[in-house]
Amino acid sequence: MSELLSNLALGFGVAFSPMNILFCLLGALVGTLVGVLPGIGTVATIAMLLPITFGLPPVGALIMLAGIYYGAQYGGSTTSVLVNIPGEATSVVTCLDGHQMARQGRAGAALAIAAIGSFFAGCVATVLVAALGAPLTSLALLFGPAEYFSLMVLGLIFAVVLAKGSVVKAIAMVMTGLLMSMVGSDLETGAGRMTFDIAELADGIGFTNIAMGVFGFAEIIRNLELPSESRDIVSSKVTGLMPTRKDLIDSSGAIARGTVLGSLLGILPGGGAVIASFAAYTFEKRISRDPSRFGKGAIEGVAAPESANNAAAQTAFIPLLTLGIPPNAVMALMVGAMTIHGIVPGPQVMTKQPELFWGMIASMWLGNLMLVIINLPLVGVWVTLLRVPYRLLFPSIIVFCCIGIYSINNSPTDVMISAMYGVVGYWLIKHDFEAAPMLLGFVLGPLMEENLRRAMLIARGDATVFFTRPISGGLLAVSILLLILALLPMIRKRREEVFVE
Amino acid sequence: MAEDVQPSRNAPHVDEPPTDRLRGGLIITVVSVLLVLATFYISSPTVPRVMAILVAVVGVGIIAGLVPVRGPQDFYGGLALVLLGIFAIIASAELPGQRGFAFGPGTAPRLFAIILAGLGAAITLVGMFSDGPRIEKYKIRGPALVIFAISLFAALIRPFGLVIATYLAFIVSITGSKEMRWIESLIAAAAMTVGCVLLFVYLLNLPFQLWPQANAPQLLLNQFADLFKNVFLLLQKLVPGLK
Repeated sequence: MSELLSNLALGFGVAFSPMNILFCLLGALVGTLVGVLPGIGTVATIAMLLPITFGLPPVGALIMLAGIYYGAQYGGSTTSVLVNIPGEATSVVTCLDGHQMARQGRAGAALAIAAIGSFFAGCVATVLVAALGAPLTSLALLFGPAEYFSLMVLGLIFAVVLAKGSVVKAIAMVMTGLLMSMVGSDLETGAGRMTFDIAELADGIGFTNIAMGVFGFAEIIRNLELPSESRDIVSSKVTGLMPTRKDLIDSSGAIARGTVLGSLLGILPGGGAVIASFAAYTFEKRISRDPSRFGKGAIEGVAAPESANNAAAQTAFIPLLTLGIPPNAVMALMVGAMTIHGIVPGPQVMTKQPELFWGMIASMWLGNLMLVIINLPLVGVWVTLLRVPYRLLFPSIIVFCCIGIYSINNSPTDVMISAMYGVVGYWLIKHDFEAAPMLLGFVLGPLMEENLRRAMLIARGDATVFFTRPISGGLLAVSILLLILALLPMIRKRREEVFVE
Repeated sequence: MAEDVQPSRNAPHVDEPPTDRLRGGLIITVVSVLLVLATFYISSPTVPRVMAILVAVVGVGIIAGLVPVRGPQDFYGGLALVLLGIFAIIASAELPGQRGFAFGPGTAPRLFAIILAGLGAAITLVGMFSDGPRIEKYKIRGPALVIFAISLFAALIRPFGLVIATYLAFIVSITGSKEMRWIESLIAAAAMTVGCVLLFVYLLNLPFQLWPQANAPQLLLNQFADLFKNVFLLLQKLVPGLK
């Protein structure tokens, strides 16, 4: 206990100084402003703003980076809620209920709950990191490739269960996403797979291209078909910018559960953070008294994923700094930045460079706090943006998306790929398929395949290894159970039909 | 979830007009025949060829009116997924498969493609035997203009620079809306372009070229020439002997 306190005290002592707090504030502000632009994902935001930190002293730079990181994440969530365009993989789930809440005039409440939930989760997770850092690392080491594969399968089942419509169609969408993620270079041989020798596809299709196309462009194309009255994003009056007491009470349980789930999943190196958001969403939907509210603007659907992914982002620092494994591109950028400023990931980092390590943890907490301080007042500004008439808003979104996509690789091909996915997204809407499971399948595909191959190799082709290893078997059992539970209503209905006839 | 999904048990089902059937069946048949032809250029063509022929038969059946299509959304959606699966199998045909107990690069794509085709078939069957919603009409103007605007941006950004590409993309996309007003649009486009330039180039210091290069039209034509050349090379690979 005293060690916990002394570690945190060390960290806060390093982090808190007037200049550092100013840096953090600045970073959070800039991060949010850039992250909020549709078309600019979290990765792009951090990549763009990273050079600002180069001239600063190490601790200051890291603190500003923390501010930028949280700002970018929150900006991405803001875009998800306001215009239904996810900035990165973890924001996809926020789109589902967050945007529906915006359509009902409750964008302010959604954004505020996201900020509050994230802050709470960040606090809890920081304490967890301080208290349990070392033992949790050994827990993470229990996970071998078979366990990871089963975890990914569970994650994909979550993605299926959270879909509003038909389960079979959602599974089909997940499969499509998995297939698309295999376009690119093979993991082990480097051979081009399904690229048709197109140079730009050698690195895969790109999450941003698909997300912008399927969520951004397709939605705009769809909206242009609708009569003009139903086009404005906020059709009803904006009812208050702050969440009501009822909102806070309703979401408190979701925030707590999301925090627990996120903290646990974030510890797993390599992908736990992504699964955290949709695991939390699915969990809330499952235990809710009225699951049909989800997908139509249930506040738990925003509170739970936002808390989960923030908790996971914090606890992800444990494997990140001790094992050196970044869970996603954003954290990889952070590791790069940290290395530039002198923190070298490795098992000794907690003991050999405690000031930098705990300073980093403390500055992440500070960034989180700054985020809430800046953004709660700004919610009004964001909501006002929604009032711009749609005929002027949608070209702006298109232009931002184009510039954002182009800026990632300076490649016009990326923009064209997004355009094609816009058409694909339009097709999906016409045939009542959902895009979110496809995107989640796309994100988890490479990890899943890598772990599948590795596990099979280690087990020498014995496929039962996924069931015989205890953790892996447990995870797969939960997945199968969830799938059955999801299919049950459909089976029951069919049996009723047969019965009636 | 699934409980609120069985679509339109209550909606009266009107038989699909024959033009829809013809159009849908024709598209399915043409694509599957193309896939069958593509299987002649790969090794181990049996599985995709059989699958593609089956789909072609179904396509002909749709045109002939022999195949019941009670839920068009699901039916055609499922068939499209089957075709996508077949396409993926063909695309990954040249990749080595499993060697002993090591997965090859081709194993996972083929595995998932077959599962996808199976799921697509299941969805198609649902569309065949249970009532479902009709597919809404595809509009042309809005989607075409938006896609054209994005393509315009992609084509113009390198030769002509950010300012012109942004301005033109904005104007073209705004014409996709029936409510556009010219003066307002021209001003808004200018404002947006100025805003983007300030933000991306001056504030964020991103390496964008603002103005057209000296030989801009030439560059533009070169881009198209490259595109056609690449497409031609692609076709050459798929259809050996084409010169």
